[in-house]
Amino acid sequence: MASYHGNTHSEPAKMEQIITEFFAKSLHIILESRCPFVSSRNYSGDQIISSPSSSSSSSSSVRPRDKWFNLALRDCPAALENIDFWRQSNLEPMVVDVILVQRPTDCSPKRGIDGNLSSKERSLFFWNSEHDEYGCEARSEKIIERWVLQYESRKSSRDCSSGSKRSSCTSSHTLYKKSILLLRSLYATVRLLPAYKLFRDLNSSGQIRTFSLSHKVSSFVEPFTRREEAEMQRFVFTPVDTSCGRLCLSVLYRSSLSDVASEPSTPMSPQFIPDYVGSPMADPLKRFPSLPVPHGSPSFYPFGRRHSWSYDLYRASSPSAFPSPSPSYSDSRASISKPSSHRLPPTCLPRHLPEATQVHKKNTSFDEYWPSPTFSLSPSPSPPTYIPGSHMSKALLRSESAPLNIPASKLVNAPSLFNKQSLPPSPPLKGTRPNISKMDRSLGLVQTTSTDDKFSIGKDEIGKISGLKISSCGSPQKSFSRSSSRSFLDDFDDSEFSGPFVVDDDDLTDPGSRPGSFDQKGHQCESHEPGGLFPFRKSQDAAVGALVQMLKKAPPLCQDSFNSRNLLQASQPGTLSNRCQEPNKTSEETGIQHASSLSTASSRLVMSRTTADALEELKGYKEMKDLLLRQGGDSKHGTA
Amino acid sequence: MNCEVCQLKELEVEHFEIREVLRCILHTILFHRALGLVRPKDIDLELFEITYVQCGDIELEKKIDEKIDQFIDKVEKHPNKKNQICLSFYEVKNKQATWFTNKVERLHWEQWYINLNVAQHPKSPKTHSGKSHHSKAVVDPGESAFEERSVRRAALESSLREVLFQIIKFVNEKKDHVPSIPNLEGVSFPFEITISSSSDSAFGMDMFKRMLQTGHPTMLS
Repeated sequence: MASYHGNTHSEPAKMEQIITEFFAKSLHIILESRCPFVSSRNYSGDQIISSPSSSSSSSSSVRPRDKWFNLALRDCPAALENIDFWRQSNLEPMVVDVILVQRPTDCSPKRGIDGNLSSKERSLFFWNSEHDEYGCEARSEKIIERWVLQYESRKSSRDCSSGSKRSSCTSSHTLYKKSILLLRSLYATVRLLPAYKLFRDLNSSGQIRTFSLSHKVSSFVEPFTRREEAEMQRFVFTPVDTSCGRLCLSVLYRSSLSDVASEPSTPMSPQFIPDYVGSPMADPLKRFPSLPVPHGSPSFYPFGRRHSWSYDLYRASSPSAFPSPSPSYSDSRASISKPSSHRLPPTCLPRHLPEATQVHKKNTSFDEYWPSPTFSLSPSPSPPTYIPGSHMSKALLRSESAPLNIPASKLVNAPSLFNKQSLPPSPPLKGTRPNISKMDRSLGLVQTTSTDDKFSIGKDEIGKISGLKISSCGSPQKSFSRSSSRSFLDDFDDSEFSGPFVVDDDDLTDPGSRPGSFDQKGHQCESHEPGGLFPFRKSQDAAVGALVQMLKKAPPLCQDSFNSRNLLQASQPGTLSNRCQEPNKTSEETGIQHASSLSTASSRLVMSRTTADALEELKGYKEMKDLLLRQGGDSKHGTA
Repeated sequence: MNCEVCQLKELEVEHFEIREVLRCILHTILFHRALGLVRPKDIDLELFEITYVQCGDIELEKKIDEKIDQFIDKVEKHPNKKNQICLSFYEVKNKQATWFTNKVERLHWEQWYINLNVAQHPKSPKTHSGKSHHSKAVVDPGESAFEERSVRRAALESSLREVLFQIIKFVNEKKDHVPSIPNLEGVSFPFEITISSSSDSAFGMDMFKRMLQTGHPTMLS
């Protein structure tokens, strides 16, 4: 039994002692399972217990501290230090923040595929992009748990001792019993929360991690931002009433720590870990660890992925069009390995690709390949699977634009997936290209993989939601992709682009994957394609030429369609939106600004793709414009 | 005296998962009722990413394992789909000699019902590896089957987590009925584990009897 039994203290003093010890014990429980052992000496001291799993022996000596609440704990120096400090305060609240510290320096040398940035620059870049609010900090800290422990005093202690109706003896006994119960459940809870896995990972192996856990004990709460708070969940332990107040314990915790927590236990080459840690899929706050990669678009890799990412490991390097596959590859790999996404059948992916390939290669024979409008008129035969698609669109587009007239019905039927795929991501013109959009894209693509075979999904849903008739819009959409592919072909060697698609050749003949029939209308629009963006990958000069061509031909940007697209997309349900809402917002805002200043974008194309694509493209245009201006103005080169 | 009853959320388990799941649940409950001096022992589940806590008492562990063996035995012999394990805590009260027995009476103050829905024995090949504890690592030729299983596994893991939180919440909310510690002998309050299947006709009777037994003023508060 606890040491308070044999004492001669008065009841209030006993109560206070229990409360004080309760604070100490709680802190001990929390920190014991959150502070990684710095070294073995921390727990190999006087105490017999050397690890939690070998602590079953009850014959070991029992220290007074263990007797409190009948709970023997391992030594935890951090807890002892902090509790000594806290004891000097007078039952002030105790706030324990558990902080996830990520060290970019560990990872930057590993990502040495691109030599453009020094490791320092890269890490700055890296972290900057991930945590805008932290500026250029070399390491990032994130509070993943906040434990708040406080004693709420009801009245002054004199009042309560006289006003208490129960016998004082019962009170302290009851308080003690309830404290024990509370501490037991705290002990179990601490091990059920996501952060425990991080702690265990840190301790379990000698492997160097790119993260560590830290803690901060204080007596006041630094409020979270609303955004931070939104990402956290709360668990409130039932307060323990005392005669003159109550003991309250609650925890705010980040429910998803999968960016670091899902690190696979299987040994893998360390160079992937940095990207893994920073996987944009895994954590909404983190963006684009692959930012510094100047070439290659991560979004393409999901296409190559067929069965599993381990298989993809070998495949990823094959597309010659992508000079630096591995950083972006691991990026996408990370997203795939997320529990939520890895269940999605990757085999669906290639289904969508053939269209793109076909468009590029066989643009003269659309009708042969897509003889039947599988989705253009009738509701999809298999609508139930559209959820991932809606996730994607919702995720990509969280615009809050007011309802607008939808000027073009083609907007409705434009399956974003289709265009997304037929058009490669905008070229990595410069290293400074915002990675947010990159992430959006890859996210979208990953989601795409789970979409139903038929494109009717997206269309179906959009049509349903907007209440527009779908029947009128089958053809225009096709003309986009078609025309874009045309220019693509005309201006550049298409063989270069076949790389990412090659793997999907066997799917080309799958009629189920066809987006719809391409009719002759398509030919009329061929001059409007902004698809010339990709060519930049090939050569700067050719790109400039293409751009000039496009600028000449491009119709004025249609703001209406842009917004209405947003509207449509925004109205779709999706669970993924939380993940991406921030980046999308920002990217959309900037994108809209750009849109107003640019006249190069083809409104049709914009409509036919997701807003994120459009934004990205707009950015690309802007960059190109700047580039041209600079090149025209003086001889200085604008290449980043 | 009230006997608090907690019906835990039903879990869909496969045969090979019974042991881990039951251990996890039973030990978690018992840890919360082991108010004597304990030296907690963390146990990582093999099948799931879950860590639970044992109170580190060997006798108690043995008792639990025995009961789990019985349960598995019963599931095999009588493959009723719905199975229930009841963990009940009681206090021993010496009855007055004036009554017809001198036996000690068990006064139940808390009952936990663990509901398991054990999947029928696998006939399809996709689950034949299921008996192994390492089925996670077994490479299944059927990709969809594998996927299906990992989905199912993930679902069970989150359900199990829910159950654990259900236990924690219950423990948090109901504290008044727990007997006071000075009455405690040994690490945990005395408990018994009973196994029943929903098809047992005796089951209802059993429960009824137990209900009658409970109801006495042990509570001090």
